[in-house]
Amino acid sequence: MITIKELSDDNLFTAGHTACPGCGVAMSIRNAIRVLGKDTAVYVPASCAVVFGTTFPYGAWKVPFFHTAFENTGACLTGMQAAFEKKGKKVTVVGFAGDGGTYDIGLQSMSGAAERNEDIIYICLDNEAYMNTGIQRSGGTPFGAWTTTTPVGSNIQGNQRFKKNLGDIVVAHEIPYYATLSIGHPLDFIRKVEKAKNMKGFRFLHMFTPCIPGWKMDPAKTVEVTKRAVESGMWTLYEVENGEKKVTYKPGKMKSVKDYLNMQGRFRHMSDEDINKLQMWVCRKWNLHYHEKGAPDICEVAPPVEHHAITEEHREMHGP
Amino acid sequence: MFEVRFHGRGGQGAVMAAQTLAEAAVNEGNYAVAFPFFGAERRGAPVLAFTRIDEKKIYSKTQVYAPDCVVVLDDSLLDTIDVVSGLKPNGTVIINSKEKPDDIDLGVSVRTASVNATSIALEILKAPITNTAILGAFAKATGIIRIESLEASIKQKFGEKLGEKVGERNAFAARTAYEKTIIGTSRSVKKLEAKKQWLPKYQDYPIGAALIEGKTEAGLIGPGSFIENKVSGWATYRPLRDKEKCTMCLLCWFYCPEGTIIRISDRGDLMTNYDYCKGCGVCANECPVDAIKMVRARA
Repeated sequence: MITIKELSDDNLFTAGHTACPGCGVAMSIRNAIRVLGKDTAVYVPASCAVVFGTTFPYGAWKVPFFHTAFENTGACLTGMQAAFEKKGKKVTVVGFAGDGGTYDIGLQSMSGAAERNEDIIYICLDNEAYMNTGIQRSGGTPFGAWTTTTPVGSNIQGNQRFKKNLGDIVVAHEIPYYATLSIGHPLDFIRKVEKAKNMKGFRFLHMFTPCIPGWKMDPAKTVEVTKRAVESGMWTLYEVENGEKKVTYKPGKMKSVKDYLNMQGRFRHMSDEDINKLQMWVCRKWNLHYHEKGAPDICEVAPPVEHHAITEEHREMHGP
Repeated sequence: MFEVRFHGRGGQGAVMAAQTLAEAAVNEGNYAVAFPFFGAERRGAPVLAFTRIDEKKIYSKTQVYAPDCVVVLDDSLLDTIDVVSGLKPNGTVIINSKEKPDDIDLGVSVRTASVNATSIALEILKAPITNTAILGAFAKATGIIRIESLEASIKQKFGEKLGEKVGERNAFAARTAYEKTIIGTSRSVKKLEAKKQWLPKYQDYPIGAALIEGKTEAGLIGPGSFIENKVSGWATYRPLRDKEKCTMCLLCWFYCPEGTIIRISDRGDLMTNYDYCKGCGVCANECPVDAIKMVRARA
């Protein structure tokens, strides 16, 4: 297993790209390509990654890079892999698609490639909305989040649907490897990318990548917010290898989802009722992932608010 | 008709400034329009916004090419963008800068006003969002709008979106800037040169339209050519590492999204190349021994 110290000094995704300060996508791409190495060919569909990584005629990638349309990441990767195979070249073919390009628009193409078990790595950079076009809701947007298409009104506040369970959809294709990654857990991150690189068949890496303007947060907290997401159960680190599921990082006592929400402006409007609703969803997810045989019930929902004992003062104010 | 062009960086609120100015003008009984130049939504990247003010109805829908006034929300833009492009001879330039107007080199000698809006914003709003402060300077320098009506529309517009207290603080930022603005004339020392562009003919492309690594008159092109793109102008803060405290855990090097922190394995040391630092502060936030401090980039 590679440690941080053993990673190469150089980077195949150069400095000078134009991502926002503190971009989680840039962080994830840089570290993924560090591990994947120079014998890699990259495909990126329409997303932030294509805007900040390549603006004609400039580019940050030092590996072969290809870009066409939004919805065909799976198909393009299949074609690239077939071409390299025909030429007798051993190349890791990697696609970096956003959550919009995976959850919604690219789903059919990804599903096709997964079902054929193509020998490619599909990386989903999940920042929970269409950030490049100006923060529109995607299938990956969590409950309650503000986006420009799920605005905060007087009747409905933010997104009313829960985050789509993409993991189970991908795993249902019976692929060799599916893993969720977080940039806040470097050793786990490196190990999973390396493991995917050394395997054959369709490998899916699901990366949690905070977006500073879309999540309305302080750019310095990119890594901290991913850590809190994992500690609160909003994001789970696990891998499924040939159908065998394994949780790779088990947080301690479950933290309240409020700790995570408070860091981000997109959840600022949420009422206690909505937060409770989201907390229940997280709890179900948490129990599903961590509730193994004999494991203690670590999920704790905040107890219902109890009425205060009636005091003399209270009686004076409100009567008996 | 009075035309204004705002130069800012994504996240500084140039678009909000343009809209607030238009609303204030409307409240004074004028006609006004405001609109941004649309591009990718990226914080820190150069952005444009425009406002037109007139006593008559406005039918012009184009971008502003010959402004009466140019507002620059970030003086680091002066190095990369020709902000005075198309400015009318008797026009005014308003710059967020710690320099006095007479020390600012715009390449032409024009009426210039300057105010240190970043310091005002950091002090009053606790964030480097300079749009309201620069509007105060605008009121002082042009006289097109009264500061009172500007304060009122800031309170209304920001209050509606972000709460009453935020609205009031922003109005106070505008008033503070109004009082601190200095008016003078810019220097014309530097020569304005149009940036060279690489404009290839079809024969210059290899078959399959793949772009290979190359060097042109306009600089590097193709894979890895972004290395010539210096992005340090985006930063408000930058990191300073204390070598004594540093334990070489390499977390900052791993987390840095820019490649600002460079590792030199032979020497077992880290180096910081500020040319690429956008000042996000992740390194300082994540350092387990607090060896990294964020300091003002251009103070």
